[in-house]
Amino acid sequence: MALVSETDTGLGPRIHRVLGALPSWVLWIIVVLWSLPTFSLFVNSFRNQEAQRTTGFWQTQLDELTIANYREVLEPTIAGGLWDAILNSFAIAIPATVIPIAIAAFAAYAFAWIDFKGRHWLFIATVSLMAIPLQTALIPLLQMYSGGAHWTIPFFEKTITLFPDFNLAGTVTAVWLTHSGFGLPFAIFLLHNYISGLPKDVFESAFIDGADHFTSFWRLVVPLSVPVLAAFAIFQFLWTWNDYLIAITMIGANPDALPATIKIAALAGEFGIREHLLAAGAFVQAFVPIVVFFALQRFFVRGILAGSVKG
Amino acid sequence: MEKVLSTLWGVVIAIVASGVLFIGANKWFDLARKNWSWFSMVTGALISGAVAGVLAGNRNSIWQFTYEEGSSGTTAWLYVLIAIAAGAALGAVLSGTEGMTMRLAVGGGGGLVLGAFHGFFLAESSYPALQIVPLLAWPVGGAVLGYGWGMLAGKHQMRRAVDLATLGWLVGAWLVPSIGGGTRVEAIVALGLLGLGLGTRIAVTGAADYFRREEIALKSRATIFLAPAILFISVSLIIPTIRTLYLSLLDGRSVEFVGFENFVTIFTDPGIFKIDEWAFMFTEQLFIIGALLAAVGTVLAWRAAKARGNPPNPISMVLASAGAVALVIGYALNYFADPEVVEAAAGADGSAFDMLATTVVLIGFLLTVAGIVTSFITARSGGHHLDWSPSNAGALGVGVFFLFFGAFAALRGTIFNNLWWVVGVVGLATSLGLMIAVLADRSRSETIAKSLIFMPMAISFVGAGIIWRFMYIARPIQKDQTGIINTPWVWLGKISTEGGTGRVIFTIVLVVFAAALAYLAYRGLAANENGLATGSFLAMAPPVWLAWRLWEGSGIGGIVETENGFFADPIFFLQTSPFNNFWLMMVLIWIQTGFAMVIMSAAIKAVPAELIEASKVDGATEGQTFWAVTIPQIMSTIGVVVTTLIVLVMKVFDIVKVMTNGNFDTQVLANEMWQKAFTESNFGVGSAVAVVLFVSVLPVMYVNIRRMQGENA
Repeated sequence: MALVSETDTGLGPRIHRVLGALPSWVLWIIVVLWSLPTFSLFVNSFRNQEAQRTTGFWQTQLDELTIANYREVLEPTIAGGLWDAILNSFAIAIPATVIPIAIAAFAAYAFAWIDFKGRHWLFIATVSLMAIPLQTALIPLLQMYSGGAHWTIPFFEKTITLFPDFNLAGTVTAVWLTHSGFGLPFAIFLLHNYISGLPKDVFESAFIDGADHFTSFWRLVVPLSVPVLAAFAIFQFLWTWNDYLIAITMIGANPDALPATIKIAALAGEFGIREHLLAAGAFVQAFVPIVVFFALQRFFVRGILAGSVKG
Repeated sequence: MEKVLSTLWGVVIAIVASGVLFIGANKWFDLARKNWSWFSMVTGALISGAVAGVLAGNRNSIWQFTYEEGSSGTTAWLYVLIAIAAGAALGAVLSGTEGMTMRLAVGGGGGLVLGAFHGFFLAESSYPALQIVPLLAWPVGGAVLGYGWGMLAGKHQMRRAVDLATLGWLVGAWLVPSIGGGTRVEAIVALGLLGLGLGTRIAVTGAADYFRREEIALKSRATIFLAPAILFISVSLIIPTIRTLYLSLLDGRSVEFVGFENFVTIFTDPGIFKIDEWAFMFTEQLFIIGALLAAVGTVLAWRAAKARGNPPNPISMVLASAGAVALVIGYALNYFADPEVVEAAAGADGSAFDMLATTVVLIGFLLTVAGIVTSFITARSGGHHLDWSPSNAGALGVGVFFLFFGAFAALRGTIFNNLWWVVGVVGLATSLGLMIAVLADRSRSETIAKSLIFMPMAISFVGAGIIWRFMYIARPIQKDQTGIINTPWVWLGKISTEGGTGRVIFTIVLVVFAAALAYLAYRGLAANENGLATGSFLAMAPPVWLAWRLWEGSGIGGIVETENGFFADPIFFLQTSPFNNFWLMMVLIWIQTGFAMVIMSAAIKAVPAELIEASKVDGATEGQTFWAVTIPQIMSTIGVVVTTLIVLVMKVFDIVKVMTNGNFDTQVLANEMWQKAFTESNFGVGSAVAVVLFVSVLPVMYVNIRRMQGENA
């Protein structure tokens, strides 16, 4: 469409010229459409109950605006304490982010730079686990956390305990343990992609200088991999912060340990008098991930790309 | 605050502990190279300490340390400490002993004493009631077997014999007899001789030479680096998955084996798998339009190949054209099968028309399929190919997409809902993402636009569900609408029924817009740019439809006529089946389009500039360059996006749970599994649904593995 020359004056070329500017316009229309849902919820979260119920957000009057919704949502006695739930979300998301990073970094290093038999296949097997849906592991995991894991040896009928009953069901520990396990295959995949791409000479000269794998991991790989570690950290943090399935399965009905997602989902399930708090609640829950997202978007994008685009 | 602090402390302690463990393990195996007797000492201490730790720390298992009533646990700690010290001493002494006889004496004797020590402290409930026959038969059998194995292998007869004899003793003394009926002497004997076996085994190996030490130090590295990950993945992913496979064969309370009964339950439940109304798909508008597009796409592909100077076999073109004609007739018949229309026209009830329409559409569909299939068969038998390049396949692709939508509106139940999600979300998120990536590539304010479209990725599925619930609000017909979609919808309905200038202006705007698109489609067809032609033609559909309904004046929907006049008729997005499924998908599309866009955008930028230049120098238009150069170049990236999205969509849960909880025919597998397992407490059926989910991602897993092999090779 940009091939139209200046001298063309017919109807067709003119349409072509208008269309040449179209991409920008279409893009911005899409951007507006894409932001509209979030924006409308944001405006609604500041409107009082009556206004939310009877008029659309574009009909907002100045005197309808209030921050009472936010105050009410955070107040422990009224909405079941979203503030407590936010703390629970942190208590889940932080360990569930830190632990897989450490474990996956070791494994990724081994897959990338330590020679051992069956390395290729073990790596492929590990990484292909990324596609397993969490649902397949949920029931046994919940059983394990609520009663331990026991195995009866066939033919001899002796039961031995493989995983003691730590009474983890209903606690945040069960949730972040589960997240740590499920996050590992992707973490290993992402970190391996990066770590295996580090220049070989660096390692060779380090080994010649007498460094062993432990030293080269600690002194070379960890400092050099900070960008990809950050990328995975953001990924996993957003994922665990926003998770609903694992939390509701592992915690269930223990009100003291519920994270924010479950609290606002419960609020949404009421369909009742507190519906005006829904918008504010959703924004309180989304505040942390949105801040993380905009502050660290560069790393986040890099993380997404690391696994998918080659060259 | 207290909760967060305690959690943070827990995390810090966990990290420090695992750090110490990791570094410690590294240092330990360093010792193997640097100082063998230290290494032996630490190893001995670890083995003996581990046994003591398990016995002392485990109160649930049948094997445990003896706990005195009311004891504070000091004895237990003392026991563990002494065990560690004794193990360390034995390791140190053994490493310094030369000569096989001495080694055997030290190793075997030390092991015996150490084992007896552990046996002495065993809890009374753990004493084995030894039986003489198995106690002798198992180790002797093991020794004979091990010796034979060694003979066959040609080396290490003694080692194998000791190995299997020890294992035999473990079985004969601990697995066969009943635990809890014996005496302390029996416990000491049973554990002491186990220690003897282990000690002898270590002594038989002989002192490690330099190479052996190096080997230990080297091999241990991979193990140390990998062990935590493998352990974690096994415990939280692999073993549970295998157990789910097993549970799916048991009944609801996981007691009795029921074979495949749970799967039978799933596939005979009409809520999950309902196909008896399949014939309705042939009267579904989307299905007919989809088939028509596929037929037209085939004709276009034939025409494009012909224009290139390779006239292909006309048979597929003829078949597809005939199919298209039949489909148009079927569409018309279907329109007349509408009861209102029929009553006005013929006074019949329309069932005859219905039957006829179904048959004609079916014929048209089969003709089209035959056309597409023959296009590949004739190509195989040496004829010229139809030109199925991306630009020409576009119409076929969109057609198939619509076909699926029509089919899933007739095939109902959880499983088809899930498939519908896969087709709908993957298709739309990928193509929208690609479109936005292309648009953004030509725009100056690319970064801001992209980051705004990408932003929903940061919002939870639950939050997104709430956001879209506000979008989809539908209020009773007498009241004003407050939803962002229903308000303009009702407004358009009003314009249409009330008439006046608003209607005229709006119709003219739409007609002009449609005309511009029609011109573009014409240009595309003339220049053999089928991608442009198809795209413009498809984009024409909404404005033409809207203009027609507006002008017709009977309302475009959005308004309902009652005895008391016209009222608003909002769309109940979440309640009206089956297309409420699509409105739920919209939420995920809204989230995932940003993901697709980011990846495609990077891939488009990674297409070598020389290729684009070369194509332009050859006189290709921008559209041709896009379809013939860019798209094939980013095809593998599209593949990655598609597989990633398929896996993600298969397990969609939160959105459905929050927005409809599977009501109004919107159930999906993940929510079905959750409800069956945790609401109805039926672990059998719940596991079976999980297995269905698992099996359905296996093909994707296979594709991923193939791709990784390709990359690593």
